[in-house]
Amino acid sequence: MSDDLKDILSNLNNDIEQEKLLDYLNKNLSAAEAHEVEKQMADDEFMNDAVEGLENFKNKKDLSLLVEQLNRDLKKQTEKKKLKKEKRKLKEQPWFYATLVILLVLIIVSYWVIKKYLIG
Amino acid sequence: MKTNQQPGLSKNKYSHISDAELLSKFYADHNNEWLGILLERYTMLLLGVSMKYLKNEEEARDAVQQVFLKVINELHKYKVEYFKSWIYMIAKNHCLMQLRNKGRFNAEITEQTLTTPAEPETNQVHIEKDQALDKLATALLQLNKEQQLCVTLFYLQKKSYQEISEQSSFSILQVKSHIQNGKRNLKIIMERRGNGQ
Repeated sequence: MSDDLKDILSNLNNDIEQEKLLDYLNKNLSAAEAHEVEKQMADDEFMNDAVEGLENFKNKKDLSLLVEQLNRDLKKQTEKKKLKKEKRKLKEQPWFYATLVILLVLIIVSYWVIKKYLIG
Repeated sequence: MKTNQQPGLSKNKYSHISDAELLSKFYADHNNEWLGILLERYTMLLLGVSMKYLKNEEEARDAVQQVFLKVINELHKYKVEYFKSWIYMIAKNHCLMQLRNKGRFNAEITEQTLTTPAEPETNQVHIEKDQALDKLATALLQLNKEQQLCVTLFYLQKKSYQEISEQSSFSILQVKSHIQNGKRNLKIIMERRGNGQ
């Protein structure tokens, strides 16, 4: 099996892995399924540390909500620059400047009219 | 990105793209959206690691957000090959710095936790490990009784930590420790045999 394929499979399984982790933490797995998760933990220091920490959360049912919230904030952060780029693009649109010029002309004309007919 | 019924677990159209591929896409166009997709794969693991070191739910949550920010701001400076190992190191280092700054640095935390982790083992190595353990009947007998029992129950009888704990009256932490130490000692025994041949 190529490294790329393994990598892809490990990420296809990522959602299943997180789901399984939650089930493991909530003790919803059979002994055999729990053993499979623990075997992964024994070979994966990151996962082992993570499970140790997650087990200390008081309310494990809120974990998925917390993860969802963190992911939402993350999405906002990573989309931020894109919005700024879009704003810059907006400013570069020629109609934007045309509208500005027209407004300026209108202001000047209005000023001249007011000056001539109301004051002059 | 679509979300499924369960909150916190989003199946999205990018799940078929590997970490390595997402990384190359990011390095190619510096679009942070790729980083966002990559990072959310590790949110739960990062939360767990942060909680393990900081032992506080709020601080763990803040740590994850800070690690996200650090990655977004700094990943472009490094050529990272194994994202999972790298982000684990970033998270650990961040937590340890937090503890140090708050004067809660534990002497038990060794320098090892601050170094770059080794490259991940392949599935082939895992399979070889399991096969080697299956053939280690005689080597097992050289372990002390606790390690022998726990390693046998875990790897050969495929019991869970909970089952081993109930059967042996060790705590789950002791079970984990006996398994880890047993594995290490088996490796030493096998290496000694290999050198002796």
